[in-house]
Amino acid sequence: MFYVSMFFQYISQYVKTRLQYRADLFVEFLSDLMSQAINLIFILVVFGHTDLLGGWSRDEIIFIYGFFLVPYAVFSAFFNIWDFNERYIVKGELDRILTRPIHSLFQIILERIELESLLGAVTGIAVMVYAGSRLGITLTWYDPLLFIVFVIGGALVYGGIFVVLACISFWADAKTSIMPMMYNISNYGRYPVNIYNKLIRFVLTWILPFAFVGVYPASFFLEKEEWYLYAYLTPAIGVVFFSLSVFLWNQGIKKYRGAGN
Amino acid sequence: MKNAIEVNNLRKEFKAYSSRSGLKGAFRDLFTRNYKVVPAVNDISFSVKQGEMVGYIGENGAGKSTTIKMLTGILTPTSGQITVNGMNPHKERERFVQTIGVVFGQRSQLWWDIAVQESFRLLKKVYKVTDEQYDDHMQHVIKTLDIEPLLDKPVRKLSLGQRMRCELAAALIHNPPLLFLDEPTIGLDVLVKLKIREFLKEINEKYNTTILLTTHDLSDIEALCDRVIMLDAGKVIYDGALNDLKENLADGKELHFQFLEKVDLPAVKKVTGGLPVKWDYDEKEQVFIANLDNDDLLISQVIATVVAAFKIKDIKINETSTEEIIRNIYEKGAVEVG
Repeated sequence: MFYVSMFFQYISQYVKTRLQYRADLFVEFLSDLMSQAINLIFILVVFGHTDLLGGWSRDEIIFIYGFFLVPYAVFSAFFNIWDFNERYIVKGELDRILTRPIHSLFQIILERIELESLLGAVTGIAVMVYAGSRLGITLTWYDPLLFIVFVIGGALVYGGIFVVLACISFWADAKTSIMPMMYNISNYGRYPVNIYNKLIRFVLTWILPFAFVGVYPASFFLEKEEWYLYAYLTPAIGVVFFSLSVFLWNQGIKKYRGAGN
Repeated sequence: MKNAIEVNNLRKEFKAYSSRSGLKGAFRDLFTRNYKVVPAVNDISFSVKQGEMVGYIGENGAGKSTTIKMLTGILTPTSGQITVNGMNPHKERERFVQTIGVVFGQRSQLWWDIAVQESFRLLKKVYKVTDEQYDDHMQHVIKTLDIEPLLDKPVRKLSLGQRMRCELAAALIHNPPLLFLDEPTIGLDVLVKLKIREFLKEINEKYNTTILLTTHDLSDIEALCDRVIMLDAGKVIYDGALNDLKENLADGKELHFQFLEKVDLPAVKKVTGGLPVKWDYDEKEQVFIANLDNDDLLISQVIATVVAAFKIKDIKINETSTEEIIRNIYEKGAVEVG
C-alpha cells in the first residue's frame, strides 16, 4: 500500500517538474509525436515489400510489430535505467538512494520515470488496429483483459533483462557496451521466431526471452493455435524473470563499493 | 544510557588491482590481474552514546567516508559488527534509515528541478511523517535555519549556503535521533557556518540528537564536539576529549618575532645559543618563530635576549593551535598522550 501511494507521489512530482518547463514540454511532445509518425510510415514501407515470411502474412507481421511496441513503450516509460552505471554508480547517486527507507530499485525506477514514452503505445495500438482490420480479427470480451496481462508480462520480461544488465555494474567497474547490444537483440523479438534457426529461437525463448514481448503473445490474437501455450506463458515468464532480476539486484547491492568523494 | 553507535572490529577491504607497466604488461593484465587487498578501514572499534556530538576526523583517504557509509548502511562491512540505534544498518536497511538523517556536503539530497518545499513534501511521504509531526517540528527548523523565503525556489537556483541549509532541514524531516554529517560546512562562508553550528547545538539540546560529524574544518569540531575520533590509514589513532588532546600535546608555546632590520636565521640562533629553543623562519610572512616549552621564565629570558640583540617590530606569544597539533599528529601518524 505504501509503495502504491509512493508511486503516485513520484508520478505527481514528475508531472510537476515537467509542467515547470512549458516550452520544453510542448517541443518534446511534438518531437515525440513526429518520431512516432515516422516510425509508423517506416513500418508500413519496410513491410510493404514482404508478402509471406515463414508462414506469416504481411499483415500478421505488421500486427506483431504493433503489439511489440506496446510493452516496449511501457518498458521505456518505467525502466529508464540504461545509464544506471554512469548516473548512480560512478556519480555515487546510489548513496543517496540507499539512505532512504524504500527499496532501492523501486526508487530508481520512480526517479527515472519517463511517461512520455507511453506515446509509443498509441502508435503500437494504431498499427494493430490497422493490421487487425485488414486481417478481419474479431475481439471477444476478455481479449482486452488478456491484452493488458500480456503487455504487463512483456514489459516485465524486458524490465527484468535490463535490470540484470544494470546489476553487472555492481560487480564490474568498467563501463560495458552491453546495453546497446541488448537493444539490438531485443529487436529480434519483433519478428516471428520460427524464421530463425533453432538455437536463436531457443535463446529468444528461454535465455533472453524477447520473443515473449512480441511474437508469442501477439500470435494469440492472430489465432495461431500452435503458439497458444507460449502466449499463455507470457505473464509467468515475465514474473519469473523480473523476480530473478530483483533477487540479483538485492545481491548486487551488497557488493556496492560506493564512489569516492 | 544506551549507545547510539556501537562498532566492534569493523573492517572494510577493497580489492584494488595494480596494472603492470608497458604494453606487454597490459596484455598480461588481461589474463591475470594482480589484486591487492587494501583495508580502507582496519579493525576499528568505538561507541557513541545517545546525545553525544562526536567529531570524526582524519586526512583524505583515512577511511572516514567509508566508515560513515558502513554506519549508514550504504556499504557492507568485510568483517566486524556494527549496531546503530539497536539495528544492523545493512541487514535492516529500510527500517534502519528511518531512524537516521544523513547530509553529504558534496551531494544533494534534494531534487534538482523542483521547489524546495516539493522536495520536503515528497520526503515527508517517504518517511511517513504525519502532518502534525511535520508542522510541529519543521516549522521550528525552517525558522531557525531561516529558509522560509527559499521554499518556493527550485534547488538549482539556490546558492551553496542556501542549499546546505535546505539539505540540513531535509535530513531532519523525520526528526531522527541520529544525524550523520559528512563535511556539512565545506565551501560555506563564515555566517552560514555559524548559523549551521548554532542550529546543530540547538537540536542536540532540544531532542538529545546524536551527531557524528566529519570535517576538515577544525573550527567546526572545536565549536561543536566534546569528543573527537581521529583516524589515520584506517586505524583509530585517538579517541577522547578534544581538550585532552590540546592539553597533552599543546604544552609548547610559540614566539613570533618580526624585526626592523634584516636578520638571518643563524644570527638569531647564535644569540639564543644557550637556551632550549627551536627556531623556524616563515619566509612568506617574514616571521621568526621560536618553539619552546611553556615555561614563563624561559619565555621572558628568550624575549629579553632577542630584544637586546635586535630591533623589534612585532612580538606575539601563541599557544600551539589545534590545527597545528592535528597536523603534527597526521605527520607522525600516532598520538602519544600522557
